[in-house]
Amino acid sequence: MGGDYAPEEIVKGAVLAARKSDVEIFLVGTPDILKKELAKYNLTNGSAIRVVEASDVISENESPVDVIRRKPHCSVAVAAKMVKSGEADALLSAGSTAAAAISAIQFMGMVDGVYRPALVGGLGSFAPNTVMVDLGANVDCKPHQFLAFAIAGSVYAKRFLNISDPKIALLSTGSEESKGSNAVREAYSLLKNSGLNFIGNIEGNDVLSGKANVIVCDGFVGNVLLKFYESIGSYAKVWTERKLRKYPPIRALAKLLFNRLFPTTKISSETEKQGGGILWGVDGVVKIAHGASRAPNIANAIESAKEAVKAHVIDSLKSELAKFNEGGKL
Amino acid sequence: MTVEDQVRDIVAKITRVDKSIITRQSTFKEIKADSLDVVQALVAVEETFGIEIPDEEAQKFQNFGDFVSYVESRVAQEEKV
Repeated sequence: MGGDYAPEEIVKGAVLAARKSDVEIFLVGTPDILKKELAKYNLTNGSAIRVVEASDVISENESPVDVIRRKPHCSVAVAAKMVKSGEADALLSAGSTAAAAISAIQFMGMVDGVYRPALVGGLGSFAPNTVMVDLGANVDCKPHQFLAFAIAGSVYAKRFLNISDPKIALLSTGSEESKGSNAVREAYSLLKNSGLNFIGNIEGNDVLSGKANVIVCDGFVGNVLLKFYESIGSYAKVWTERKLRKYPPIRALAKLLFNRLFPTTKISSETEKQGGGILWGVDGVVKIAHGASRAPNIANAIESAKEAVKAHVIDSLKSELAKFNEGGKL
Repeated sequence: MTVEDQVRDIVAKITRVDKSIITRQSTFKEIKADSLDVVQALVAVEETFGIEIPDEEAQKFQNFGDFVSYVESRVAQEEKV
């Protein structure tokens, strides 16, 4: 039960989702707090939301790794165990990404061939046929992780964007094979010999060009780029309005156009519309919502987690990875 | 299979490095194990041998050899009991 606006907005989001969709939701956390929040709503279908106790709480100054040995009964760990046991189909967290990832790794386990999970998300608006991976789950990456990221991104592009043979590119500081960090250069070699539809390196100025359907990078770069991308719209709007302040009619028109073109999220990534990204590589559906998620984002995240379960995305990933495991590439 | 071989297998599996490069002198940094790798290895070893490794003991491990020596001593103690 983490998140900047927990528990109020999380509970409200769960109520929104339960009201508009056929879904059973478990709220995991401190029962007294959750029941008090739930009491604010007149739930017609009382059984759609249930409260599950988590006896440990992770404070801000504790390491997420403590989930494993010191706080195995914190909410995200309890939720991960519920998915592992089959009691729940998916886990959603707006709390610490690291704590969610560590809980999922430890208590749900990894899909064969994957070392660490990654966050995959579509770029939406400007690049509707492009997904990026990793968006922040792995700050430091080993070269073989980039190959697993590429496979996860490829499955995502096939399943959610209907692209039959996604073009995969490595994000680097130059198009040449020799460009980039040591890990990126080693990853280039692995991807080139992977049998995937690898088109080589692309640079930052080609992220939105549509040249690649799957852009592979480490989580440090991916997270910085994602947040920058998500912020562009609001800054572009403010900048345009300021530039046009001496021309009120044109300014009003520009404002109208911005609101029409980017009605809810300005220039945003698909992950924002979906309420967050899927954590790929763990043996179950795990959805990571932004820490600053409000109730509508949480409701969207619950709905998209449900869609991911229905689409059998984990089985798809397992079957794709199995081909590479057989070849000893992972 | 010795205790050392079993611990080496666990560490190699978690860190995804070739077990032949893990010597008793190898530090966790040298085998590119991060903090999560180390904690996962501790948990896996605890489960495998039915022992508990206190944090204050784990923090003393300077290299793989220290880790193995501690597990060997604990396993020997358990066998006596």
